[in-house]
Amino acid sequence: MVGYLLSRLLYAFVVVLGVSVAVFFLIRIGGDPSALFLPPQATLEEIARFRTLMGFDRPLIVQYFDFVGHLLHGDFGRSLRYDQPAMQLVLERMPATLQLSGIALLLSLLFAVPLAILAAINRGSLLDRSGLVFSLIGQSFPTFWLAIMFILIFSEKLHWLPPSGRNGWQTMVMPSVTLAAYSTAIITRLLRSSMIEVLQSDYIRTARGKGVDDFGVVFRHALRNAAIPTLTVIGLQVGALLGGAVITEQIFAYPGVGRLAVESIANRDFTVIQAFVLLMAVLIVAINLAVDACYGLLDPRLRKRG
Amino acid sequence: MRRQFRAAIVGLVFSTATFAGLLSPTFAQDANTITIAQQVDALTMDPAKHSSLPTANILFQIYEALVTKNAAGDFVPDLAKEWSNPDSLTWRFKLRQGVKFQNGEAFNANAVKFTFDRALDPKFKAPYFSRISAIKSVNIVDDYTVDFKTAAPFPTMLSSLYEASFAAMIVPPKYIADNGPDILATKPIGTGPYKFVEWRKDDQIVLEANPDYWGGAPAIKKVIFRPIKEVRTRIAELQSGGADIAVDIPPEDVAGLQGGSTKVASIGSDMVYFFAFNTIEKGPLQNKLVRQALNYAIDVDAIRQAILGGMGTDVALTLPASSFGYDPAWKPYPYDPAKAKALLAEAGYPNGFTIPLTARSGRYLKDREIMEASIGYLADVGIKVEPNYLEPGVWATVSEAKGRKGIIFPGWSGLDPDLVWYPILYTGQYQSYYSNPELDKLLDAGRATLDANQRKGIYEKAAAILKEDAPQLPLVQPPLIYGLSARLIWQPRADSFIDLRHASLQK
Repeated sequence: MVGYLLSRLLYAFVVVLGVSVAVFFLIRIGGDPSALFLPPQATLEEIARFRTLMGFDRPLIVQYFDFVGHLLHGDFGRSLRYDQPAMQLVLERMPATLQLSGIALLLSLLFAVPLAILAAINRGSLLDRSGLVFSLIGQSFPTFWLAIMFILIFSEKLHWLPPSGRNGWQTMVMPSVTLAAYSTAIITRLLRSSMIEVLQSDYIRTARGKGVDDFGVVFRHALRNAAIPTLTVIGLQVGALLGGAVITEQIFAYPGVGRLAVESIANRDFTVIQAFVLLMAVLIVAINLAVDACYGLLDPRLRKRG
Repeated sequence: MRRQFRAAIVGLVFSTATFAGLLSPTFAQDANTITIAQQVDALTMDPAKHSSLPTANILFQIYEALVTKNAAGDFVPDLAKEWSNPDSLTWRFKLRQGVKFQNGEAFNANAVKFTFDRALDPKFKAPYFSRISAIKSVNIVDDYTVDFKTAAPFPTMLSSLYEASFAAMIVPPKYIADNGPDILATKPIGTGPYKFVEWRKDDQIVLEANPDYWGGAPAIKKVIFRPIKEVRTRIAELQSGGADIAVDIPPEDVAGLQGGSTKVASIGSDMVYFFAFNTIEKGPLQNKLVRQALNYAIDVDAIRQAILGGMGTDVALTLPASSFGYDPAWKPYPYDPAKAKALLAEAGYPNGFTIPLTARSGRYLKDREIMEASIGYLADVGIKVEPNYLEPGVWATVSEAKGRKGIIFPGWSGLDPDLVWYPILYTGQYQSYYSNPELDKLLDAGRATLDANQRKGIYEKAAAILKEDAPQLPLVQPPLIYGLSARLIWQPRADSFIDLRHASLQK
């Protein structure tokens, strides 16, 4: 197990390094932010002067080593637009995004797991079929559409919930439900089909044969086995939630890191994009590592293999 | 087993319903507080360290400049009481006395000099440097008199010293000396009507009325700025009582917001939409007759009616109608497709031609729709336009390399011909795709004197050339549209600054 995790860790390091190279060069393909940042009235000389001041006129490879050098000292550089340390800007907004994604994930699991189990053991029933339709809808409605519908109904018409911001639990409801919709749907569908598969297997029949009750069969035997493929998807969903938060945050004016990322990309605020992408890469790699570790907990065979 | 699960589901549904019942309308409006929804948050609280209008709008409540604008768009005294030109290279300002910064520090000539010395220092890297770069030095004459020295006559000095020239907002020297150069970024202190209270990044900025404001304490006691990018959400906030001013409302939503708890305020902006023709590159646009034909081919007024809901202002030339030197007697080219076809035939293009369009899309109100409608009109006279909509970053890169092809949609703002025509029409300016020595002479003359009457005469001549030679196709001065709560008494300004000094709430 330890060896297995170590190899995963090394792999994770290579991934993050690769991401750093990719993000650095990709965002610079279109040119630097000087002309975009200065007012339209600025002359060519002023743009050139600013470019030199900021060091954007140096060869890319020199800038890259400069970036990596600072990175090794934990320095992600200063944001051009905010004139503040880039990582600080990202970290300031991170708790809001983690809270939103966390609640959304919790909501998805809260709805998806019971729904999937119910559907699987009542296969073919009205509940099962309506659950399928429901999850298909959840999966196919685009986030922005769902978000705007929620605002129209619950804020403009019913006046139940405030449309935007992050000010008390009322402002968390619509963004987290919007964000949870897709994950709920996909986890429900997946867990349902693995449950059905597992419930038909020999050892379940054996368990029933030796007199294990319904509850024991479903939770102790079936769910644990059906959970393994689902766990993979949940791990992936965490990444999707963090990514999906970009649109959700934009529409609900939620002060998370996604909005910062969008604005920074539109304005070529390189240091902020780098800090954001690298932090996300580390986060997602860490989650995948955690999922790998969880496999071991759920399946003893994987533990021994390491 | 099944029963247990059903009970669980029923419980879940029930608790959701209870939860919904708990929701109470939480939108009670505070009688002394207003909330303003702009598209984006402030970048910093240091006025000289950014290049963003929404940021400037927030800082305009906290800091002040030497001059400001009234509702009619005229320059009026702010921290300066009066100004004069002892010679053509000097602008002398007499400062208001007895003004204090919000920390008690006195405002005087030293604060003015410090403000500009700070922002003009190359090491400071002020993004709006170009707006003040004509100022060579700021000299203290006495405690309440300063001289701004320029290398050449600088007729548009006042434009460089009011709030739209971001680095011209006066900052407190002693406060910065005591607390370090970065202090303003997070703890702003100015002389303005509102004091900074709190900044929750990307969520809200809270300001409270400055009771000691020299112009009298403002009527509205608390102002909250919130960044809401999505227009539907801004409208929802407005309709549910969560906002009192919502910026950038689309024309199609105006009717729905008039009446009930909301209303709409609109004003022509200080910007012009126009097509610029690349006359540097070989091609049909080098022919004056073709350029005139294009001007005849588009029914600008119909576009304004259909796409901007009749709001905005038609302009005769590429200059806002509210600009210095704009003569209401100027007439735009009328819509006359037959004449356009005749001119095209005369120019040797009886069957028209194909030409690229270089533009950005979604940057300004309805820009894409206006361009597409124009493309339709041009197709009617045989000109096939191939649009190339660029992402803003790419547009900037292409522009720097002088790579805008064919017909160009730049959009430009400025209320003086020198701020508009010089950068986009003078030979060799990097955003100019036109060259005419005769016009150059006039544009040089217009910036070489401070005499307003003389300048008007010069630009009158320049206007005649621009009309006849048609290097551009003026479209419209788009409107600024604000959604307001019915209780707010407030006037918008053409330069899109949100001036709350004269705003109040209905009792």
